[in-house]
Amino acid sequence: MDFLRPVTWEQALAYKAERPEATPIQGGTDVMVEINLDKGRPAALLDLNPVAELTRWSTEGTEIRVGAGVTYTRLIAELGPLLPGLAQASRTVGSPQIRNRGTVAGNLGAASPAGDAHPPLLASGAIVEAESVRGTRMIPITEFYTGVKRNALRPDELIRAVRIPAAAGPQYFSKIGTRNAMVIAVCSFAVALHPGERRVGTGIGSAAPTPRRAPEAEEFVAAALDWEGRSPLDPGAARRFGELVAGAAAPIDDVRGRADYRLHSLAVMARRTLGWAWNDYTGRGPA
Amino acid sequence: MTTVAAPSAGTALDRVDGPEKVTGRARYAYENVPADLAYAVVVQATVSRGEVRAVDADSVLQLPGMIATIWHENAPRLAPVEDAELTVLQSPRVAYRGQVVAVVVAETLESATEAARLLRVDYRPEPHDVELRPDHPGMYRPDHVNPNYATDSELGDPDTALAFASVVVDATYTTPAQHHNPIEPHATVALWDADGLTLYDATQSTSGVRATIAPLFALPPESVRVISPYVGGGFGGKGAPHAQVVLAALAAKQVGRPVKLAATRRQMFAVTGYRTPTVQRVRLGADEDGKLSAIVHEAFEQTATIKEFAEQTTVVTRMMYAAPHRRTSHRLVRLDVPVPTWMRAPGETPGMFALESAMDELAVACGIDPVELRVRNEPTIDPERGLPFSSRNLVACLRGGAERFGWAGRDPEPGVRRRGRQLIGTGVASSTYPVYRMPSQASARAEPGGGFTVRIAAADIGTGARTVLTQIAADALRVPPAQVRMEVGDSALPRASVAGGSSGTASWGTAVLRACEGLMDALHRRAGDVPPGGLEASADTAEELRSQRPLSRHAYGAQFAEVGVDLDTGEVRVLRLLGAFAAGRIINPKTARSQLIGGMTMGLSMALLEESVMDLEFGDYLNRDLAQYHVAACADVRDVDAFWIEEEDPDLNPMGSKGIGEIGIVGTAAAIANAVYHATGIRVRDLPIRLDRLIGGGI
Repeated sequence: MDFLRPVTWEQALAYKAERPEATPIQGGTDVMVEINLDKGRPAALLDLNPVAELTRWSTEGTEIRVGAGVTYTRLIAELGPLLPGLAQASRTVGSPQIRNRGTVAGNLGAASPAGDAHPPLLASGAIVEAESVRGTRMIPITEFYTGVKRNALRPDELIRAVRIPAAAGPQYFSKIGTRNAMVIAVCSFAVALHPGERRVGTGIGSAAPTPRRAPEAEEFVAAALDWEGRSPLDPGAARRFGELVAGAAAPIDDVRGRADYRLHSLAVMARRTLGWAWNDYTGRGPA
Repeated sequence: MTTVAAPSAGTALDRVDGPEKVTGRARYAYENVPADLAYAVVVQATVSRGEVRAVDADSVLQLPGMIATIWHENAPRLAPVEDAELTVLQSPRVAYRGQVVAVVVAETLESATEAARLLRVDYRPEPHDVELRPDHPGMYRPDHVNPNYATDSELGDPDTALAFASVVVDATYTTPAQHHNPIEPHATVALWDADGLTLYDATQSTSGVRATIAPLFALPPESVRVISPYVGGGFGGKGAPHAQVVLAALAAKQVGRPVKLAATRRQMFAVTGYRTPTVQRVRLGADEDGKLSAIVHEAFEQTATIKEFAEQTTVVTRMMYAAPHRRTSHRLVRLDVPVPTWMRAPGETPGMFALESAMDELAVACGIDPVELRVRNEPTIDPERGLPFSSRNLVACLRGGAERFGWAGRDPEPGVRRRGRQLIGTGVASSTYPVYRMPSQASARAEPGGGFTVRIAAADIGTGARTVLTQIAADALRVPPAQVRMEVGDSALPRASVAGGSSGTASWGTAVLRACEGLMDALHRRAGDVPPGGLEASADTAEELRSQRPLSRHAYGAQFAEVGVDLDTGEVRVLRLLGAFAAGRIINPKTARSQLIGGMTMGLSMALLEESVMDLEFGDYLNRDLAQYHVAACADVRDVDAFWIEEEDPDLNPMGSKGIGEIGIVGTAAAIANAVYHATGIRVRDLPIRLDRLIGGGI
């Protein structure tokens, strides 16, 4: 196995162009686990850690551009107010040691349906900034996940950053696991209110071959919510929202949980997070 | 010399080896690096039954740094012994998936790991049978159950008593396979020289490893030395040597160099033992007042085809409660699975989950408080052995625990207490563990320069044994603990029993105490004068133990749990866990507390999380790492506390102590399951209490 260690982004792109089979590695919290478990052995590892620019984030208009090397720990500490949904999800990733190493871009690269960052990225409408020696592509997050542990990156492309609209309204993330910490999600859900657009974003984790939105649920609830009058959430509408979210999922039975449990708990999480978000929006405080 | 010191026993002496451990000076088995060391890595069977037809040893030998590939055709011959788990690489047979079929030895761990990965093994596979079912046609009655109890027992006429009982509970409970997962994986460094074989090993018994390994290599025991001063947890998994010890010795012999071999975490799920899954049927017959007339407890368990281990799941039921009519039994089936072994309170742990769940069901059926129900069925003598108890303070634990927990006034109605979206409930279960004591030897030596050295081949696997033995010795020598140097963990020291059966303090403490008494007598005869060469005395407790009078000796406890169950998601949180114990005299309250709450934490983990899932298609345990085999995290353990009742029992040992290493896990899972029932109205009879068992169960 070759270990490629570029020190600049240009070098990294050149390496990737030359060795498209190389697996990029950042924190190693996914890649190293796969290697240790002998689930395939990459011909080469492309270590992006020395590329310092990747560890920066910046504000560009209403968008936050999070470099591929920003760890969960820094995201939680520095971006909580701007990206509350993603920060909440980041807090549930592994242990402090894992959060010190792991990155959102790594989560995207692995594209596991159980990755914690995916639901809030879907709910807030993130864009993946992919780059190769051929140029830059802005991939909408809804087009990024293409199958179980597969994504839309081309062989010569690397994730340079993730562009996420700064929260324009309340955002919540919820996750269920069998243990109370350090746990792979049985399933997870994120909601983001976009009051300016009268729109609700959703993201479902660990309950389908890929992370996915629940478009029908989004449309239904956007119409059902009293954006102007800010009247309390109608319990019937919240329930329907939960049902539609569950309806958008396609879970399987596995060691972590049964499919019917996943559908049930997704509906619960959808209802709950919507309630929390709506209470924030209407100024009623926590439910 | 005759400094008068306040007794150390009963005080919370800090661990005497604490500084070594926290500064990293304590050397564990894997950290030994003898000159010319080579590294061994095992190759595990990828079929669950069949034969190894060929091993392509030559092609990996071409790899850089390779020294040897050892498999059944070229392995040194071992002397035949009964324990087929240890006669490694002697035959082409594969008895379970994950069994070691070859070992590669290389100059570095990396080279050996790579070679093990690349080694091609050709199998002739056969269909496997890995599913435990109570109606399995292969169910048989073992000759005895661990360690040496009768397989079955019967008293009176339980069938008729059940037929005529006013209230009957008849329920089947299951517990899954569980793996020990000590923080330190099993590791051995083996070294042959003119004196024989030296093993640096992670073990609960250096004397035991020596006695077991020597005959395999046709050596007299004195030609084998086992060194294990520090061990990072065992829980029974290091109680007896497993394959890796023999493999390390065999590989070192083959290559003529010292060899280091450690199991990886994932390998441990196949090669270092586990707790058998159980299926248990419990039938209780009682009158309306909850007075038991019949207790029937039947267990169905698995063992491996190559070795029998019969967990004594229902033995505890022979002693817990009074009833004139009773029956217990054990049935085993040999499956194509890894070899099960002791795991923290083997027998009591799964058995008391079933019995104490059934007692809770009986309390509900009779409309009697579950604490009161247990008190009403308290026996005056051991119900099956007919012997008096040396001491039995279960009732005091139940009453004392209930008071401290705030049990009084508990509304028995299930599913009615709400705190936000949480359903709240409380539960209780009894705990117990037998008092074992095994023969051991020790020596005590007055050093010419002052101070004492006390030696015994005991094992401190994190329990605090080294500390507690220091205290026992200090008191016998009437000096402060700082004047006693305790040496343990080496088979060259006076022979000692295993750190198992919660028997260490009692067994080793007796030997240490007697050796110190002997030394005090010798010193007294010399008017306190220590000769230039020092003065030594030793003791062997075999005779003393033989003269012990027959009594029913057990420690008891009661555990109380409060749980909150999320109404919508089924998530269970153990809000409070309180254990009350009566375990004789507590010699060190600090290490004792750690043992008790450690056991309770492991019980909580068992109740909610721990489950080794058998892959029926491939025939091995599926969730072979700590990301998938969940052990409780700090966030799962909110409020756990233990206290004990002062207990004077002169019929135990000179220290008056009962074992405390295992009782903490016994009953915890039942207390939590009973609390979940009280919270939700759902009786979970199959561990662990998974989210989907509650939501599917009808919250």
